[in-house]
Amino acid sequence: MEAPTHAVTRRIAEIPLSGHFGWKWWIALLISTGLVLLLGYTLAAVTFIGVGVWGVNIPFVWGFDLINYAWWIGIANGASLFAATLVLRRHDLRTAVNRFAEGVAFFAVICAGIFPIFHLGRPWLFYWVFPYPATFEVWPQFRSTLTWDFWAISTHAIVTSLLWYVGLIPDLATLRDRARTKLAQRIYGVFALGWRGSVWHWAYHQRAYRLVAILVLPLILIMQSTVAFEFAVTLVPDWHETRQPLHFVATGLAQGLSIVLLVAVLLRWSLRLERYIDDEDIDLLGKLVLATALVSGYLYLDEIAAALLTGGKAWEAIYHRMTGDYSGLYWTAIVYSVLIPQLFWLKLARQSVIAGVFVGISIGVGVWFDRFSIIIGGLQTDYLPSVWRTYSPTLSETGLFLGTIGLFAALLLLFVRFLPVVSMFESRHDEHEEKSS
Amino acid sequence: MAQLFTPAASTAFRVLIVLALLGAVATGVMAYFWARADSTWNIGKPAEQPVPFRHDLHNGALGIDCRYCHSTVERAADAGMPSAQTCMSCHSQVWTGASVLEPVRSSFALGQPIEWTSVHRLPDYVYFNHAAHVTKGVACETCHGRVDQMPKTVKTQTLSMGWCLDCHRDPAAHLRPRQAVFSMGYEPHGNDLPEDVRVFYREASRRLTSCSTCHR
Repeated sequence: MEAPTHAVTRRIAEIPLSGHFGWKWWIALLISTGLVLLLGYTLAAVTFIGVGVWGVNIPFVWGFDLINYAWWIGIANGASLFAATLVLRRHDLRTAVNRFAEGVAFFAVICAGIFPIFHLGRPWLFYWVFPYPATFEVWPQFRSTLTWDFWAISTHAIVTSLLWYVGLIPDLATLRDRARTKLAQRIYGVFALGWRGSVWHWAYHQRAYRLVAILVLPLILIMQSTVAFEFAVTLVPDWHETRQPLHFVATGLAQGLSIVLLVAVLLRWSLRLERYIDDEDIDLLGKLVLATALVSGYLYLDEIAAALLTGGKAWEAIYHRMTGDYSGLYWTAIVYSVLIPQLFWLKLARQSVIAGVFVGISIGVGVWFDRFSIIIGGLQTDYLPSVWRTYSPTLSETGLFLGTIGLFAALLLLFVRFLPVVSMFESRHDEHEEKSS
Repeated sequence: MAQLFTPAASTAFRVLIVLALLGAVATGVMAYFWARADSTWNIGKPAEQPVPFRHDLHNGALGIDCRYCHSTVERAADAGMPSAQTCMSCHSQVWTGASVLEPVRSSFALGQPIEWTSVHRLPDYVYFNHAAHVTKGVACETCHGRVDQMPKTVKTQTLSMGWCLDCHRDPAAHLRPRQAVFSMGYEPHGNDLPEDVRVFYREASRRLTSCSTCHR
């Protein structure tokens, strides 16, 4: 007997259940697994040899580790903020993008979490930042940014994974009912937690899903501000500003949306999902990306204005970022994250696959350069001229960064292979509503 | 199509969730007690020594002062281990033929130190100064226990950071008057120290618990 699945979602359910996934998927997985191995190698190097393999040194104690942490957590924040907003607003776009937006957020949190742990230098003692009754009878230093990182990332990991998983439960049940092998049925069945689709189940599910989504909103704002405060609480002239959280949240949102757009365009094109992620969805995403890019642009102007108003050392610091050794980073950030997205004023660009990929990557790159510019350029001319040096990442740090990109890609590929990339129950719901109206 | 799961599966799943949670709690509780167990800190375990030196005999029965052998305890970070000359100041006269003292005699003859095994070894990142403690009224016994009753020298305290802090947070209760620092079996009294000294240490506890006091 075939389980009664609405014809609408058959195509989505067939993707993870099909026996063959083509050689392109395998090649992609092979490349990303190779990068994951590189990640393992560079992590082993920093564990067994020490942080000396990185280019960090006084005053640049925060190098690639913090740049990439701030970058990944920005993606996670942007994507989950976006997904949660769509759930709460019951917006039509959620049907198309929520599932992988939540997935992107979760995978990005995993990548982000790696950096602060290894940044500790003694990663095996990372649990010391957790307040537990230790024999050394000292609580973690709550004024330390390390403990903030711990709470930010763990909260983040819990809420984003919950949002993702709670949304997945009804779809896992569909997959359980449609799976052809006994093993697949059982595995999907266990994760579906005995879902039978009763009215009670749906009522509880809607409540749980919206509850988690409503938790995400304040938490994400707090977590991203926490990352920003790690800079703002220092005395470094360029970091010591109350506008820092705004900058991180807004550019993070742009970055999260751009990665969601990138994944949406790629999935739609590679899996032929035009029916679920339709032209309107992509168009709307493009407009949102453009809007957040404009906000980023406004914030760059605000940064200059705030520095001019403060004057003195603050203005010198931002002026140095714009003209000093690392000025290239600053201007690249503006070009990539503010100017290039202006392409999306054109409807043609919003609907083109190539332009979507291009702008999606470009904002990601732009925000990465922005984080680099803030963390390195901002610190370069501190109060002490005797420590005015330059920083450049070593091969090991670069490998670590590439490795996390590989990890992210590998997780995304496995997600596409084994889970429904578009929310089936939301699609069915939408279809019903359209018919009944 | 046959049912995928038996009716008992739901119960089994719920039981597993409860067991997993209980297991996590139990692991935490076990870790808590393991971290505080004597065996974890090597308490009461004697180390293999080149000479079967007996504190109970030398200090307990014969009444030799701690400082006779650990001569720098009042002046330096290290309490100091006796050179073979110190041992030979008596053992050139008594027990001259004892085979267990052979390492002492050869050390004396060759001018090479005896390789004692540390019983109270602190990690490298801890700065500990014997003189600072002993001259301020921390007795030998407070950290090393009743050495005068030990046939084999063993640890009696964990020497964990929490143990150090127990005293650093409130030193006055653990301090002795000067003449009682090297005695064993002394019963401390609440009013051992003058009031102004106790006030001083209450205020000093902030300085004494600063990270760089011990981690330099």
